[in-house]
Amino acid sequence: MRNLLGILIIAIAINTSLFAAEAGMPQLDPKYWASQAFWLILVFTVLYISISKFYLPKIKYSLNNRENKIKDDLEDANKFNDQSEKKIKEYETIMENAKKDVAKIYLESKNILDKDIQTKKIKIEKEIENEILKAQKEIIELKKNSISSIQIISKDIASKIIENISGERLNESSIKAAVEEVSKKNIGKYL
Amino acid sequence: MQQFTVYKIGPEIKIAGVDLSFTNASLFMVVSTTIIIAFLYFGSRERKIIPSKIQLITEMLYNFVAKMISDTAGSKAKPYFPFIFSLFLFVLICNMVGMLPYSFTVTSHIIVTLIMALFIFVAVTIIGFVKHGFKYLNIFVPSGVPAVLLPLITVIEIISYLSRPVSLSVRLFANMMAGHTMLKVFGGFVVSLGILGGWLPLSFSVALTGLEILVAFLQAYVFAILTCIYLNDALNLHH
Repeated sequence: MRNLLGILIIAIAINTSLFAAEAGMPQLDPKYWASQAFWLILVFTVLYISISKFYLPKIKYSLNNRENKIKDDLEDANKFNDQSEKKIKEYETIMENAKKDVAKIYLESKNILDKDIQTKKIKIEKEIENEILKAQKEIIELKKNSISSIQIISKDIASKIIENISGERLNESSIKAAVEEVSKKNIGKYL
Repeated sequence: MQQFTVYKIGPEIKIAGVDLSFTNASLFMVVSTTIIIAFLYFGSRERKIIPSKIQLITEMLYNFVAKMISDTAGSKAKPYFPFIFSLFLFVLICNMVGMLPYSFTVTSHIIVTLIMALFIFVAVTIIGFVKHGFKYLNIFVPSGVPAVLLPLITVIEIISYLSRPVSLSVRLFANMMAGHTMLKVFGGFVVSLGILGGWLPLSFSVALTGLEILVAFLQAYVFAILTCIYLNDALNLHH
């Protein structure tokens, strides 16, 4: 490292002596000052005019163009967004109305059906009641009829039994009276 | 210092006894301007909604300078936008072209930077007087200064105002010259230390080249932004 530093110092010494040979700044030599000033003004004027007249308007135009395009697109997007929101609202109201309608129709039809069922039920019940009444009447009739026929049958049976057991014929009317008496006493038991 | 010498190219042009010959300095001014114009031509040729790469670069450059002006000098400086845009590009490309080997750095000559700075100084002063009349002299009398200090401050303000062209021109010139001289010195070390010891200065040289490219950009930016600040003083009288 120390060696390197030594070499560096020597090199600087050599170099400074080298530069000393061409000492003096060319910048301070006024020989070409006028020429440099003249060409600078000329070249810069050309550059300034071409930039300000041709290129900057073009660049500005394309920048504005892009900005406008972006603005327009954003506006369009907002518009479409609003539209879609409106449509969604419409859809929601339609859906709500439809739901209401469905509920209404359901209720109405339910009521109608209930009424229908009720009326039919009442009608059928009445019919059934009528039938039952009829049947009861018939049964009562039958009962009444059966009592007299039972009395006849039992009188015949009684006279036959008596005849078979005792061998003599009893008076019809006395048997009849006995049967009637028994049946009067016990008819509630059997019928 | 040989890299800074100006020599004649082609015939001698003399107008009214003044030597206005085409020199290597003039050549590199023309080269830089040609590069700028070609770049802007290709950058603004197609005006697409979705820009091509070169179009994007020109538009970024436009926005960069536009932002710089509006940040420092406000909206009143808009008419001077083309001038500052040209100035920035010219200084930047001249600095960058100067970084190429065997080229000539236009901005490393005090006369070139001085003429630009003087033009800016004179123009800004004229703009100030046109916009504000004699009220523009208020720039030398800051408000809120105690009456005792006022004469001193005014003198200092006048000196600082008058030294603006000097500081503006010397800053650019000295930066460019110092950078190139330093690169040359390290280049000389590489040669004199030979293949054994030359690697260290060579690596310095490489690093310095990167630094110089940064400086080339930075000085162009500083030159343009100081112009904006001077313009701001002339346009918006704050005192």
